[in-house]
Amino acid sequence: MSSSVPDYSKNVSVIEGKPSLRSIDDLISKPLDTKPDKKYYIALAVTTTMLMIGAIALLASFYYGTGLWGNNNPVGWGFPIVNFVFWVGIGHAGTLISAILFLLRQKWRNGIARFAEGMTIFAVMTAGIFPAIHVGRPWLDGYLFPYPNQHSLWVNFNSPLLWDVFAVSTYFTVSFIFWYVGLIPDFAILRDRTKSKIKKTIYSITSLGWRGSNRHWQHYEMVYLVLAGFATPLVLSVHTIVSFDFAVAILPGWHSTIFPPYFVAGAVFSGFAMVQNVLIFIRKIFNYEHIITIDTLEKMNKVILLTGSLVGYAYAMEFFIAWYSGVQIEQFTFVNRAFGPYAWAYWIMVSCNVLFPQLFWIKKIRRTIPLMFIIAVLVNVGMWFERYVITVSSLARDYLPSSWAYFTPTLTDLSILLGSFGFFFTFLLLFTKTLPVVSIVEVKAVVEGSQPSHKDH
Amino acid sequence: MSKENKKYWKSIDEYNKKELPVSKSDEFMEGTTDEFDPSKLDGLSRRKFLALLSASTAFAVTACSDYHDQKELAPYIKRPDGLLPGKPNYYASTCSGCSQACGILIKTREGRPIKVDGNDLHPINKGKICATGQASVYNLYDPSRLQFPTKGKNKVDWASADSDIINKLDKIVKSGKKIAVITHPINSPTEKKLLDEFKQRYSTAEVYSYELFNNCNKKFAWFKSYGSPEIPSIKWDEADIILSLESDFLAKEANHVEATRLFSSRRDIMKSDHFNRLYVAEAGMSLTNTNSDYRIQVRPDAQYDFVLSLMSEVVKRGASVINVDSSVKKKLSNYSLDSFVTKWNLDAIKVNYLIDDLVNNKGKAIVYAGDVLPADVHIAVNLLNEILGNTKLYDYDKAYVNTGRQAHLDDFKVLINSFNKSEFGAVIHYDVNPAFHIPSSMNYADALKNVGLVVSLVESENESTVSDTYTLPINHAFESWGDAQARKNVYSLRQPVIAPLYNSRQREAILLTWITSSSEAYNDDMYHQYLMESCRENIYNKMKLAVDFKSFWFAALHDGYVELNKQSTKKHVFDLTAFDLRKHSSASTDFGLLLSRSYFIGDGRFANNGWLQEIPHPISKAAWDNYAAIAPSTAKKMDLEIGDVIKVSVGDNSVNLPVMIQPGVLQDMITVELGYGRTVIGDAGKDAGINANDLLNQQSGSSPWITSGVSIEKTGEEYELVSTQEHHPLDEDFVKDFHLKRGIIREATLTEYKKNPEFAREHDEELVSITSEHKFTETKWGMAIDMNKCVSCATCVASCDVENNVPVVGKDQVANGREMHWIRIDRYYSGTPEDPIVSNQPMLCQHCDNAPCENVCPVNATNHSPDGLNQMVYNRCVGTRYCANNCPYKVRRFNFFNFLDHFADSYYENEVTPLVYNPEVTIRSRGVMEKCSFCVQKISEEREDAIREGREIKGENVVTACQQACPADAIVFGDVNDPNSRVSQYKKHNLGYLVLQNLNVRPNVTYVAKLRNTHSEDT
Repeated sequence: MSSSVPDYSKNVSVIEGKPSLRSIDDLISKPLDTKPDKKYYIALAVTTTMLMIGAIALLASFYYGTGLWGNNNPVGWGFPIVNFVFWVGIGHAGTLISAILFLLRQKWRNGIARFAEGMTIFAVMTAGIFPAIHVGRPWLDGYLFPYPNQHSLWVNFNSPLLWDVFAVSTYFTVSFIFWYVGLIPDFAILRDRTKSKIKKTIYSITSLGWRGSNRHWQHYEMVYLVLAGFATPLVLSVHTIVSFDFAVAILPGWHSTIFPPYFVAGAVFSGFAMVQNVLIFIRKIFNYEHIITIDTLEKMNKVILLTGSLVGYAYAMEFFIAWYSGVQIEQFTFVNRAFGPYAWAYWIMVSCNVLFPQLFWIKKIRRTIPLMFIIAVLVNVGMWFERYVITVSSLARDYLPSSWAYFTPTLTDLSILLGSFGFFFTFLLLFTKTLPVVSIVEVKAVVEGSQPSHKDH
Repeated sequence: MSKENKKYWKSIDEYNKKELPVSKSDEFMEGTTDEFDPSKLDGLSRRKFLALLSASTAFAVTACSDYHDQKELAPYIKRPDGLLPGKPNYYASTCSGCSQACGILIKTREGRPIKVDGNDLHPINKGKICATGQASVYNLYDPSRLQFPTKGKNKVDWASADSDIINKLDKIVKSGKKIAVITHPINSPTEKKLLDEFKQRYSTAEVYSYELFNNCNKKFAWFKSYGSPEIPSIKWDEADIILSLESDFLAKEANHVEATRLFSSRRDIMKSDHFNRLYVAEAGMSLTNTNSDYRIQVRPDAQYDFVLSLMSEVVKRGASVINVDSSVKKKLSNYSLDSFVTKWNLDAIKVNYLIDDLVNNKGKAIVYAGDVLPADVHIAVNLLNEILGNTKLYDYDKAYVNTGRQAHLDDFKVLINSFNKSEFGAVIHYDVNPAFHIPSSMNYADALKNVGLVVSLVESENESTVSDTYTLPINHAFESWGDAQARKNVYSLRQPVIAPLYNSRQREAILLTWITSSSEAYNDDMYHQYLMESCRENIYNKMKLAVDFKSFWFAALHDGYVELNKQSTKKHVFDLTAFDLRKHSSASTDFGLLLSRSYFIGDGRFANNGWLQEIPHPISKAAWDNYAAIAPSTAKKMDLEIGDVIKVSVGDNSVNLPVMIQPGVLQDMITVELGYGRTVIGDAGKDAGINANDLLNQQSGSSPWITSGVSIEKTGEEYELVSTQEHHPLDEDFVKDFHLKRGIIREATLTEYKKNPEFAREHDEELVSITSEHKFTETKWGMAIDMNKCVSCATCVASCDVENNVPVVGKDQVANGREMHWIRIDRYYSGTPEDPIVSNQPMLCQHCDNAPCENVCPVNATNHSPDGLNQMVYNRCVGTRYCANNCPYKVRRFNFFNFLDHFADSYYENEVTPLVYNPEVTIRSRGVMEKCSFCVQKISEEREDAIREGREIKGENVVTACQQACPADAIVFGDVNDPNSRVSQYKKHNLGYLVLQNLNVRPNVTYVAKLRNTHSEDT
């Protein structure tokens, strides 16, 4: 065999260096063993303040009514729905990384899967707030659930909003179980390491009696595989169904068959950007640079580049179809998006989502942390505006020109958006101090020499 | 005897029977309870059951203390006569909103008036009233109404106030000082008599009647031309050609409800395609103008030249039907239509059409001059109508009754002077507000300080009541007796439909008390007796009827009016000496100002009526404000945008007004509506608009509403004007003519229609469905709106507001597009900014068969009824707003706040105002979606009646609130499954089209395409 052909059978190392298994235990559980420092408290203070601002704005909205928001007569959905779609989108990366990449045997995912999954859980929790609060009478949210009652009232299964209820709650449940199952061996390690009695009790309960026996491992691997199989279609279905909220409507700009794949690509896009953003901090602060390597980050950037291009393709295709359909109203909607009163939002969206990620074609940028961080931030900004453009600009100028109006958000709207970030990051901060943000066992599994190998022996 | 053997028997039969049934002999035999195993039963023990029962009772009790407002309900102990709880009572009465005295029918429920509609029998308004009349029921429950008499700030009782005032008035008369009684024109014969008696009793009393917007110029011209101040009404329905000169006869002048009915009856495609043709020559953009076939822009100060030029052309063509005096010919020789057209750069083709039409339709045309124009224009118009033989269209039988001389600004100048010289000892404000109406620069309010006694007889405090003396609360018209005669052939009666809500008295009774000189003379029935006596004398005795007075009286009260015997009218001959040339030179080219009455709040009288403030202006769609309307070209020239504040100066007076760029306004013209900017008023009218009464032309002898030589100046300030429609510049190609491109408005000219009768539907798409459509086999409700008849007066909006308890949201919410109107009038422009074509369209829930709102509601709160209604279940609504998003017509309205307590700090959340609500329609809480229900409460009423009477439901029996109110009869409602119903006739008609038909939502409102009666084929 000629030596010019690369050896694809070679195991590519995903962890740099050859850390001992003991050092991995120590490193990953270090944040749990040490008391939080000042910086942590400052960070927590910032996020909880954001959370409180949002909570106050929300309470005011409950007390006075949704009128505190910018929503008006043609624009029935404003910030809350934009935020909902945004956060559900953020929640896509985690399960994609942990389930789909697991099934695809992508070992580089092992270092980031746990953290991404945690983010998924928190993002879906954040997202879940919005459908509940955006309604006019949130105290009647229970009506959205099909429970038997003496009035013989039943929900309307034709409504995409109802599909949403099921899609999001199913996704949350499965993601949560998947995440928890992955945590069991780590809990056992923590249980065995800890000297604190209280922690020991807690970890003993949460590790469900894990002893690391061969039987345990066999069952564990099987459950994990099955759950990964479960979660995989959900990754695709959640945002598909969220996109139905729009696609099923007859509103020009919403009524579009491209929405499901377009939304899923967008969700993965924004999810990866958010994971990448946060990981850059985590690996630095907790000294995980050799576990979450620059190679891993580069791979994520490649996914961002791919999904960003898909999203860009979808933007172009929407315009093409609008022109090709020959429907005047449809055509106007898109021309209006790009050149009407919401042009500013549209061009923020296009530049952040399509133009800047193209810089990732350059390897240097893919591997330079400050640059990739900025691009990923821009992607998140762009993806928020994508939902804003879709939701608001389509509603603002629809069929009858007589009812057109402009949407202006209020301070309450902005506070609730801020609060959602506060909610998300508060949970994230608590997560870093209470649970191992990197899967100990999965990292151990990909440390060089940890797996039996027929090579080099 | 052992226990086992002992047999018990209850009858002989039983005893004789050897074997007793097992169950009877051994009721607890072995095995009976075998099947019974308590453990197999439901796991509910007795104790647990009781615990659950008490817990659920406790929960139920707590759940009942819900968040809804709890109000007490009190049943009748004794049911009043003629009152059936749940059934409305109707009373005929007479509207007091303006001097037209339309016949009304007041609907009361459990004793409280909740809705006003026109009296069907009434010969003038025939069942219709204007928007202001519709909403006037709010004024009865206006929280700002005075509840007791006051002197300064102190509460006083009526007896002491009366005796004090009588005393003082007597002293004033003795001292030789004068008493001024200031009133609005009195259209009541009895009240007129009463005032005469008052003048006799207090010999120095003088009565000043005034109206901010009056027809004095017209009346004066009529008097000069024909020797009589009685202006005939116009037979609009017989006019083939109408030339309206600066006149909003469809919305503001004379009895515009009657005019609208007659005008629209000539645009009924179901009856004839021989439409009338309306030419409008004016400087502004009035509602009448939006309905015109041709619009010619003429400055108000050039109208005189215009009329004379037309006359000169008619005479030149030898088309005169009367012998035109040579002196007249000579006078006209200086005028020529051609030079007028060139001078003002008019469209010669349009003017030619006009003159041809006038000449060719002699006797079937009418030239009508607006009330604002000076008397000499009216005289010229009278002569022009004589020359064209158009006097056949004058209806002297229904002539407007002269209400007597009115005080002008000049008279007030004199009066104010006399106040200052202390010639007057007392001023009685008899239900008027002169301090607001008279320009503040004339210092009326200050002059009042020099008058010893100021007594204001008013419903609520106003700018004229601030002085430190008596303010006496008077009854609302619904609490009062009265009569009125606005037209020669009809005498109308007013009857109270509710006892006075407060310690107020009706204004006539107060005067009557003062006339009798004793405060004890008052009793509640006083004026009622006086009125009956007066009616017997003046009406009954003259009619020489066979019935006795009592029967006559009750019959008249029942009908609300009496049709009077025809009086022989003398021949009206035009007095040629009246026609003289204007002395001062004619039109200038500097800035001109035109003032007019506001469409809905009148001269400010209805400014505290939130419903009226919130109805958008028929053309600009602005609400809660007035403004200076200027042409787009003026705006460009002066670099002004909507909301920029300009300083408008007339002589020494100036007013700062926000600018509204109004397509169609003539360049260098400003039009302003008055009635806004009240300062002493309830919370609803506070800060609504700007008082521009200072801009009235105070020069004696000129029309107060028209001024030339106005200067305007940009101030750099900005003011927020709110409107229910966005303002797009007309020349913005991006959004131009969308209403036509999208098939929302479909219109053509009559000639085009005759050539291609299918034009309205030719672009409709054949719609296929892969599923089978739901069939509506029984009654199915539908509506048709005839856009040829609709003049966009918004009376339907007012009527719907009242019928369906539509909340007032206030200016801040309108700014955010959250107005709650269930029906709105959409306005679209096409053409150029200088010469726009206006298309109006009433838009309401279309009750689509394939309603897109229904399938997206997650909780089924909006769904379809078997009779084709798209229903809202408020209790089930969570408020996702998805339905509103998915409604292509955007007719759904969301309660963003609890609008009942949100508006003006809960201004309407008091004890009294909620009494105005229709008990048949739910009050919507916050967070709930609402929309037009096709007046489902009326449909239910018909269904109940049909069941009770054992018959089928009849579509025609249901009259929706908008339909009932429409003065043009443009709205038709009924059963579309009945092939003979009017609504299905419209549906079948080739002009009937559906808005956004290609969406396949299958709406149930058919629009009848508008036809413009122009010469050329292009609109």
